Amino acid sequence: MHEIYNLVTGPLAWLAWGIFIVGSIYRLAIMYILAKKKDAPSLAYMSWGFSLRSIINWLIPFNALGWRRNPLMTVATFAFHICLVVAPIFLLAHVALWDQFFGITYPVLDEKVTDIMTMIVVAACLIFAARRIFQKEVRYVSGFQDWLILVIAVLPFATGLLAYYQLGNYQVMIVLHILSGEIMLAAIPFTRLSHMLFSVFTRSYMGSEFGGVRRVKDW
Amino acid sequence: MKKIALVALLALSLLLPAFLAMAQDDLKEIKSEAFGKLQRPAVAFDHNAHNEKAQIEDCLVCHHSGENGVQDKTTGSEGTPCSECHKVKPTDKKATSLMRAYHKQCIACHTEKKKGPLACGECHVRKK
Repeated sequence: MHEIYNLVTGPLAWLAWGIFIVGSIYRLAIMYILAKKKDAPSLAYMSWGFSLRSIINWLIPFNALGWRRNPLMTVATFAFHICLVVAPIFLLAHVALWDQFFGITYPVLDEKVTDIMTMIVVAACLIFAARRIFQKEVRYVSGFQDWLILVIAVLPFATGLLAYYQLGNYQVMIVLHILSGEIMLAAIPFTRLSHMLFSVFTRSYMGSEFGGVRRVKDW
Repeated sequence: MKKIALVALLALSLLLPAFLAMAQDDLKEIKSEAFGKLQRPAVAFDHNAHNEKAQIEDCLVCHHSGENGVQDKTTGSEGTPCSECHKVKPTDKKATSLMRAYHKQCIACHTEKKKGPLACGECHVRKK
């Protein structure tokens, strides 16, 4: 246990964070260069006003028409993304580790709250999976990459729950939990999880096109 | 009357270390009242069984003292609750909090000796 625990909390953790940070910068830079080379005119049309208008409108649940058309997905998506980001950052056990390894400490959420948030993440993943299986038009455009990121995203939370409740072999579960979290971090720049980096730009692009070029509010 | 009280006090103070040692014998769990309501289950810890297994005879291995954020490993602190020095929420930013002190005390030694639990749930075991 000592060897493997030290491996996943030491070198592998540094590696995962390194790949995540350096990889993200690399992907953003490469994408910018590519956009400049292949789609320079659209870059010229990018506007702060139309970009922010679109981003803000899409950040409000049930505001954009896209949200209103799919109420279940709207609720699931908002709950999923908020919990996915907030729960791990403000989780007591994670902050205890920041404290143990680096002496860094900040306020945490009550474990009952993060417990429910984690369950919401797992439940939302089930909804997303069901949607990819049962909704015809979604199934048609679902490929390996879509399923891959769903599995990568759900694993740290599912194993986290099992480790938290100490169900199954705890030592195996905690190592799997840490490992799956590291896989998720490292996968962000190089899988469809990269929408974490790019979504703000794609939304800006669409907002600018519909606002600045087509002069419509249909962002 | 005063004399008797004095003698009694003296006798009591001589007995004090014995009381403390007895208290350690009974220690089965590390649980500081200072934390108030606990978020995680208290850590099961059998003082004597642990030290026998870990072959610790010197109290100073764990029961250090210190001042102004500097650990003193030459003077013992047996009988003094950890929370006496390590506050749950220290006002001094450089001070080691009670939780960090406990975690460091146990995990650092376990890591060094390559023995004993490291991960959260290995110590904070849920009662089933």
